[in-house]
Amino acid sequence: MVALRSATRKRSRTGSGARQPGQAGRRRMAGSSWFWLGFAAVYLLVPLYSTLQFSLQTGAHQYGLGWYGYILRQPAFRQSFVLSLRLALETVAISLLLMIPTVYLVHAWLPKLRPLMEFICTLPFVVPPIALAVGMIGLFQGAPALISSTQILAFAYVIQALPFTYRSLDAGMLSIDISTLNDAAQSVGASWRQTLWSVILPNLRSAILASAFLTIAIVLGEYTISSLLLFSTFAVYMQQIGTSQAYAAAALAILSFFLTWLAMLGIFFISRRVGYRSAVGMTR
Amino acid sequence: MNRQAIRWLGTVPFFAYTAIFLLIPTGEIIVQAFRNPSGSFTFSNVRGLFDAQILDAFETTIKISLITAVLGGVLGLFVAQAALRQGGPLWVRPVLTTFAGVASNFAGIPLAFAFVATLGSTGIVTQLLNSLGLHIYSHGFTIYGMIGLSVTYMYFQFPLMVLIISPALEGIRPQWREAAVNAGASSRQYWRLVGLPAILPSLLGAMVLLFGNAFSAYATPYALSSGYINIVPVLIGEAVNGDLSADPQLGASLAFGMIVVIAAAIAVYAVLQRKAARWLR
Amino acid sequence: MSNNKVRPAAGLSRRELLQRGSLGTAGVLSLGALVTLLDACSGSGSSAASGPLPAALGDGGMAELVKKAKSEGRLNVLGVPPDWANYGQQISTYTSKYGIPISSEGADDSSAEEVQAIKSLKGQAREPDTFDVSPTYALLAQRQNLLDPYKVATWDTIPDNMKDPAGHWAGPYWGAISFGTNTNVVKEPPKDWDDLKNPAYKGMIAIDGDPRSAGDAFGAVFAAALAHGGSLDNIEPGIEFFAELKKLGNFIPAGVSPANIAKGATPIAVEWDYLNLGYKKEFKGNPGFEVTIPATGVFGNFYCDGPTKNAPHPYNSRLWLEHLFSDEGQLTYLGGFSHPARYQDLVKRNKIPAALAAQLPPASAYESVQFPTVAQTDAANKVLAEQWGPKVRG
Repeated sequence: MVALRSATRKRSRTGSGARQPGQAGRRRMAGSSWFWLGFAAVYLLVPLYSTLQFSLQTGAHQYGLGWYGYILRQPAFRQSFVLSLRLALETVAISLLLMIPTVYLVHAWLPKLRPLMEFICTLPFVVPPIALAVGMIGLFQGAPALISSTQILAFAYVIQALPFTYRSLDAGMLSIDISTLNDAAQSVGASWRQTLWSVILPNLRSAILASAFLTIAIVLGEYTISSLLLFSTFAVYMQQIGTSQAYAAAALAILSFFLTWLAMLGIFFISRRVGYRSAVGMTR
Repeated sequence: MNRQAIRWLGTVPFFAYTAIFLLIPTGEIIVQAFRNPSGSFTFSNVRGLFDAQILDAFETTIKISLITAVLGGVLGLFVAQAALRQGGPLWVRPVLTTFAGVASNFAGIPLAFAFVATLGSTGIVTQLLNSLGLHIYSHGFTIYGMIGLSVTYMYFQFPLMVLIISPALEGIRPQWREAAVNAGASSRQYWRLVGLPAILPSLLGAMVLLFGNAFSAYATPYALSSGYINIVPVLIGEAVNGDLSADPQLGASLAFGMIVVIAAAIAVYAVLQRKAARWLR
Repeated sequence: MSNNKVRPAAGLSRRELLQRGSLGTAGVLSLGALVTLLDACSGSGSSAASGPLPAALGDGGMAELVKKAKSEGRLNVLGVPPDWANYGQQISTYTSKYGIPISSEGADDSSAEEVQAIKSLKGQAREPDTFDVSPTYALLAQRQNLLDPYKVATWDTIPDNMKDPAGHWAGPYWGAISFGTNTNVVKEPPKDWDDLKNPAYKGMIAIDGDPRSAGDAFGAVFAAALAHGGSLDNIEPGIEFFAELKKLGNFIPAGVSPANIAKGATPIAVEWDYLNLGYKKEFKGNPGFEVTIPATGVFGNFYCDGPTKNAPHPYNSRLWLEHLFSDEGQLTYLGGFSHPARYQDLVKRNKIPAALAAQLPPASAYESVQFPTVAQTDAANKVLAEQWGPKVRG
């Protein structure tokens, strides 16, 4: 242990001489890093603060958390949020199951498919949600039970989240050296499924997380298809409050922002623990 | 050959799924764009796209999408890099990543209200600037104009970029930087010759995503600027989703126009990708 | 955090996670499918009624209708937010009176979405039994054979211009365009259209969205037209008026939401009177809010309710309509600050409590109200589509 530590220290000491310009560069970068982080913080937090300040007005010149209590007590709030969260997790599961193998295959073995995938995965931006919903209804006419259930929303949401899931996974795959990993795996005789599972996937953790976060945010905010199919999802509930109440709507916006954020933090830390445990598995 | 065939088969679930849930509805839209109410084939809907107002809507939408895609892309890149640099406090990354996740989809009425409450005529930042002597509204600024709408769009554009580009930035090995520094490269040279080329494909792809994201935005411009600025998704909403008129043919042809624009954007992206790949070599 | 090393086969935890995760997802999905299958089998989507459905109250009268409705056991309504013309109270009164639960969905759907929802959910237990859409879409739904005719008991006292002669739909209530002013921000509320040109109102005047798609924004432009030499056949002066307001900098494009009004971002809201009065009640003085009907250019419009064809609960949809058009239902609309369709009839029979009437602006303010026909709406819409963009948006 001590030997390791001193070895590290020795390395940095010998490096410091040659690294003088680098070190100065690092300090300058540090300053600019804090600038950009600060800029992002201000940009993202100030509008939230404006909404927050408005939501605390419980009366003329009175301030308090009254509106938050009001929203939290509404059964419709809980029901719609739980419904949307459940749909979000289902959508993430279906998306990842569908997209990870496909993006891997295209990157590793079928690069000719890339332009087609790019086009298909950007198409959901320009197809009006009403068209997606109506098309889906038309196809499922023979199975009214399916149309009646909220499950059908998950199928549509996978499509709506498609550009984001594809792009995250694509960027992730581009950043790892697929050909080397593939060759290494192939040389020990692994099939593409084994390669994907044991080799590629562990390196894609942040891309998968990014894709999951984006999907969850999209599903929690999706309004058009659910309102068309008359389901009471969270966005439908938010719209209802927004058109009828002033301060409660602002409180709801803040609540939804932070609840979503907490959900994502939860997922982030769960994935960390999973990652840690597989790393531990590695040392065994 | 057998192995390759299995790999091709592995993509079938994706193509089957998108065929059912995406391509067929898209096909229906395209067909409807070329049909008149009685059902026969016609070019008149598509010709109608060349009406001055609609062209103006496309121009405005493309402009605002390009601006926020590039600006948001660059801003997102800097912020992501700032969060990823070695040696920062450990909580920066999870907080930024998850916050960016929520912010990337904070849109529509809540976002419009947040910005009106911030930069509207009675907004807190406007009032702050007024007290400092900077009366932006007297100088013609309005949150409802192009600049105001772009500033609002940026709220979800740059966090989206942060999320997408972070994995790519993570893929940059610190050894590359060390090697470059040891060879005497400055920070700028390192980025120009090593860092940027490494992430350029992902960067371009992410900007296409941001472009599509802004291009299709409906709720935010409707809540904020529908009286001032002409945006294609809002026009589609009027045609198919309102209280007053039903013009599904117009909606379909507008959607068809959007498909053409996106296809063009992807074509441009493919060309840039090939150029970038050549540069990388 | 660098991923330099290729990780060998995953530890138990990741495989476990995926196994559990996929089992869990499969479980949730199949459970969901099972539940809905059972639900679909038990609650049949097709109409429970045998024989042809009545187009009016039969010999058994209301008692017969109530009995049949109770045996159906449920009502699906569409497009009626609780704070819109007091539909919240209509729903609770109906449920407590007849003991029949109401499922209210798609409350904020636009008329187009409502018609689409009726088409999409055809033949299912969730299909709406009734709806609340603009006259344009009521006519569209009628033409697309989505409606059944039914004339309520009080049919003859509904004004002719508010109902379909064959009985497919009728408007239970109407409203007029009004000015709602946040008096914390604006000390002197406008009383008429030309007041809006006052430079003191710079950046303050908003209509609810885009007049080419939102009914109330459309109404605002039409009302301005009526006040400036236009007519129900000529909406152009209204477009010119808003173009001028924009040039003066008084007109802003933000939507009229209660939050925007209270924040002072849209302190002068041009909206339906029942919505503005509803906001006033909701605000409770925070902020202060005043609602006035413009002195000239009073434009009114209504939304239409009716029974859907092949609805899952057809007797309930008819009972609901009877309820809405009954004296009690009509007075409930008044409680929601909107004018019941049978207002004149109720006045003639002295049925309106003075306290209730006092909640609305005086009847004299509404004397000159004009309603457009669907044909006039369509024509005005065409003119708007051509001119609103170039003239107002610029």
